[in-house]
Formats: sequence, structure tokens, C-alpha cells
Amino acid sequence: MRVWAAKFLNGITLLGLGGVLISFCLKGRIDQYLHPQFRPWVLIGGIAFCVAGTVYLMAKKSMDCCLDGECVHTNRQNPWRAATAFGVIVLPLAMGTFLSKDGYDKQAVLNRGFVQDVSKLPGRKISGSPNSQQVIPPGALGADQDERASAPEPPLPQDTSSGAPPKALAKASEPPQTGGNADDGSEQYLPRAPDGNVALEVTDLLYGENEESLRKEFTGKTIEVIGQYLPGSKPNEFKIVRMLIVCCAADARPIAVPVQAQKTVSVADMSWVKVIGTAEFQESGGGKAKVTFKAAEIEPTDPPQDAMLY
Amino acid sequence: MSWFSFSWQNFWFSYLALAFEGLPFVLVGAVVSGIIAAFVPSRMITRFLPKNHLLANLMSGLLGLIFPVCECGIVPVVRRLLDKGLPFSCGVTYMLASPIVNPLVIISTYAAFRGQAPEWNTAIRLLSGYFVAVLVGLCVIKLNPARVLRSGSGRAALRKRSVLSIALLPEATPDNTSATFIQRLIAAIQLASEDFIDTAIYFMIGAAVAAVFNTAVDQKVILPLASNLVLSTASMMGFSAILTLCSTSDAFIAATFVSFPVAARMAFLVFGPVFDLKLFFLYSVLFRKRFVVLLGIGLFVLIGIISAFVLPHLYARLGG
Repeated sequence: MRVWAAKFLNGITLLGLGGVLISFCLKGRIDQYLHPQFRPWVLIGGIAFCVAGTVYLMAKKSMDCCLDGECVHTNRQNPWRAATAFGVIVLPLAMGTFLSKDGYDKQAVLNRGFVQDVSKLPGRKISGSPNSQQVIPPGALGADQDERASAPEPPLPQDTSSGAPPKALAKASEPPQTGGNADDGSEQYLPRAPDGNVALEVTDLLYGENEESLRKEFTGKTIEVIGQYLPGSKPNEFKIVRMLIVCCAADARPIAVPVQAQKTVSVADMSWVKVIGTAEFQESGGGKAKVTFKAAEIEPTDPPQDAMLY
Repeated sequence: MSWFSFSWQNFWFSYLALAFEGLPFVLVGAVVSGIIAAFVPSRMITRFLPKNHLLANLMSGLLGLIFPVCECGIVPVVRRLLDKGLPFSCGVTYMLASPIVNPLVIISTYAAFRGQAPEWNTAIRLLSGYFVAVLVGLCVIKLNPARVLRSGSGRAALRKRSVLSIALLPEATPDNTSATFIQRLIAAIQLASEDFIDTAIYFMIGAAVAAVFNTAVDQKVILPLASNLVLSTASMMGFSAILTLCSTSDAFIAATFVSFPVAARMAFLVFGPVFDLKLFFLYSVLFRKRFVVLLGIGLFVLIGIISAFVLPHLYARLGG
């Protein structure tokens, strides 16, 4: 009876775990938690847990697991131990499935501190989603066309901080080979929102702080940025925040751009807003600048398909 | 407390993310363990190890290149290998080396440090991890496994202290030798399942603690430590112990701590994979608590000395 109870609980633990993982994948909630490279493993793991749980429940013990028939696996015989495993592994995950809001609140962002220096961002894609329209295509920055053309990457912050401008950015600042001016050549690459505004990410504006050619591109244009609202020290000041994931949401780091509005803003903390305005860069020496976004229009909006940046 | 502000919303989000990222890796470790148990004869484990203590440990430090298991899954594999006859000191060496000396970590470290002398940083991480693992392995050669292993763990290692005398043990139980492939496959699944459950309990506890630290503690209170090499090294090792990141992905985090000296970041990358909060619990599956605590202190001191006093000179020779 004890062995049967332990076996049943262990099998249920595996099946329950598999069910939670598959559920997060099927509902798309996993996108909020993991970098795209890790997501397939959750689905594979979920299926594997279900298979293992089924085999574990259905199959008879086929051979001794340890030498001399003396098993070190107390789960196999001890239903209390198996119940503990169920309580520690599956119950919290099941509770989290119902209780998690798939995002951080204001306090987590404040505790982690904002990354406002682009050189402190890890060398990852700005966005991995092909549907995202809010990324400057590397072509705009002069990226090599023959290098991973199907999945190009933006310049790495490490490259940016090394002193010499990254190859991609350096090429962007070079005059075009054929006629026209630099603006004409690169304007076509700037992503556009449906209303015609230049649609940028918070990261794009931060890259602009370190790269003069980007500042020239952004200055004077009507720009649209989507992010989460976080209040500032004055009623008309706030930050647009995005979370950048390296591996999973546990390592997410808030990146933010300060915004100045024309009047007092009353929006719920961490709610998603679309801010339309212009980017102003104040030179801070060494070829760098500090960006402030002057908002002309602020409106609530739905979260983007990829709420996290990668 | 202004530096501590707990929120269930933040906890669940961080906790689930760690679980989703780590559990598949724990599963991989358990699967490797199950396959070893069901398909690999005891003699095969020890056949290729030299009889010389030093050479056997040097070889064990490279086993991760053949059985690439990260730290989340290493404990069930080592427990299985000890049961299969791997000498205790070689098991410790493999356990500490595998999370660093393995192909996945080499690739991820190289990628994460792109633009920051990736070849040197990857090589230094590997060599440091390998050196530490072998040194600790050699240090425990004279230890009686019965005094450090939990009862039931690695009983084969308990029986004989001599390095390779374990190869004289019976290869397997009778029904082991007569099992068909299907029986072995089912057994591998069953054993992997049990190893996974044993390991995952501790992983989930570690993930919960890390989630609290990641979300509730104001990170600004720890930043001033970055300006002093010794303090930054110690604090980076402390971070790695608390953050409980996977060794296959921690380099991406370490590379972002640009305000810390590179030697301190290397301490993060060497110490984290061999000892962190979840590993404290995971090691407790295999070892007695006292040994786990002493192992943690020893690794902290050893890696701290290497990172704070040796690596800065090495980086200076390499041109910063």
C-alpha cells in the first residue's frame, strides 16, 4: 500500500508538472517568462514529464535502480516523502499558474534599478519577433547583408563600449556611396507606426545616447514609443520602462527613458502607454548625450506582442 | 525596511521563470543519470580512468565534455556514478568541473563575452573551474566517504576507500544483466523520474529563495561594493550564490556587470556553478550537511584567492 501510494504520488507529480509546462506553452504565457531560445525546451520538457509520468504509473518495476537491491530513492517507498515532493514541486507551480500576473510591479523595477546606459545592456537582440515593427532594422545601421541575413542582430553594447564605434554604426555614419544626403539614405529604414510616426523602442533611444549618427536620425522627428509608465519626481515627469531579458524573467533588467510631458500625467503605475513626441539629446561629453523624451501625446495602449525585450 | 519589500506578484513571476528555465535542465541531468543506470555497465565507468590518483582526478575533471551536465542535473548523475563505482574523489572532481568544463558552457561563455576578449575569458573560466575541481578532488582523496556521504548515497564508494578498487565490485544485480532493451528503457525512465523528483525538490526551494532575493531586495544596497577588488570579488561570489543561475546561461548575466572588475566577474562565473543556494540544497541530497558547509566555505576561499590575487595579474599580462 505504501509503495502504491508513493508511486501514485510520484506519477501525479510528473504529470502535474508536465501539465503546467504544456499549459504555459499552449496559452502563450511562456513568452512573458523566457527568452525565445529557452521556450522550446519547456514544451519538450512538458511532454517528457507527461510521458515519464505515464510510464511511471503504468509500468511495473523493471529492474533494480541501485546496487545490491538497496534503493537510495526514498520516494519509491515513502508516501510522505512523495507527498512532500508533490507539495514542493507541483503545488507552487499550480498556484503560480493561477496567481501570477505574468509581469513585475513597480517595486521590483525600483529594486532592480534602471539601466539608462546602453553600454550596460547585454549583447542580445533588441527584439526576436519578426512581427515587431519597433526595431531599427540593422540595415538602417549599415549592417553587413551577408551576415545572418535572415536573423540579423543589432550592434552589441560591448562593441559600443570598446571605444571604437561598432562596425554597423560606423557604416551608418559614413556618407552614402551614391547621391543624396545621409538622411535620405537612412530615413527609409526607420520603422513607422500606422499613423506615420517613427516607431522606436526604448533601447533605440538609449543607443542614440552613445551614437551621434542615430541622434541625427531621431532629432526633429515625431517618434512613438510604447512602454510601461512609472511616475517621476514631478507631476509632469515620468519614465517609459521596458524589461530586458537575457535568459528568463528572473534576470530581467528595467531600461528606461525619462519623459517630460506638457501637463500632469495621471496613469496607473506600470500600465502600458504609447507616448508620442520628440527625442531631445543633451550632450554630456565624449561624444555621448543624455536623452529626454518630450511627450506631446500620451495614451493607454495594449501591451505589445513581446512585452519583454531580448 | 526600505531595502526589503516583498510582493507576491513579483515573487510568482520570478519564481516561475526560474522554474521554467531550470527544470528542463534538471530533467536532462536526470535522463543522463537514468541512461547511465540502465545501460552503462559499472566497469565502463572505471575502465578508462588511470589507476594513479592524480591522473584519475585530472581525467574526471574532463568527464563533463562527454557527459555535459549543468549544475542543476549534476547531483543525480554523480550519485549514479558513485553507485556505479566511480571513486569518491573522482566523483567530487566531476561534480565540480562538469558545470563549467562542458561544451554548452564553452559556447555560451564565448557568446556572452563577445567584444570582451571572449577567447581569453572563456579559457580562463574553464581553466579556473577545472583547476578548482581537481584541487578539491585531490583534497578529499584521503576522506572516508562514509563520513561525508549521506546514508544510502553512493554506497559503492562507501565500501572501499581505495581509488579504483571499486571496479572489483559485481557489475550489476542479476536482473540487471538479463534485462531486455525495452526493460532497460522503461527502467531508465523510472530511474530518471525518481532522480528528477529527488533533485527538483531542492531546486524548487533554491528557486524560491532566489526569487525573493531577486525581487524583494533593493539592488542599490549592493552596488557600492564594486569599487574594491576584494570586496567586489566576494560580493560577486555572493551574488552568484544567491542568484542561483544556470551555468549554461550565467555568463550572459556576468557580462552585464560591467561596473565590476573582470576578475570579480570571473569569480561569479567559477563560484556560482559549483556552489549556490540551490546547490546547497542539492548537495545535501548526496552529502552530509557539515561537509556541504565546509565545501562551500573552502570553495569560496579558494576561488576568492584565485580571482582577487591571481587573475588580476593574468589579465594585466593579457593587456587588461
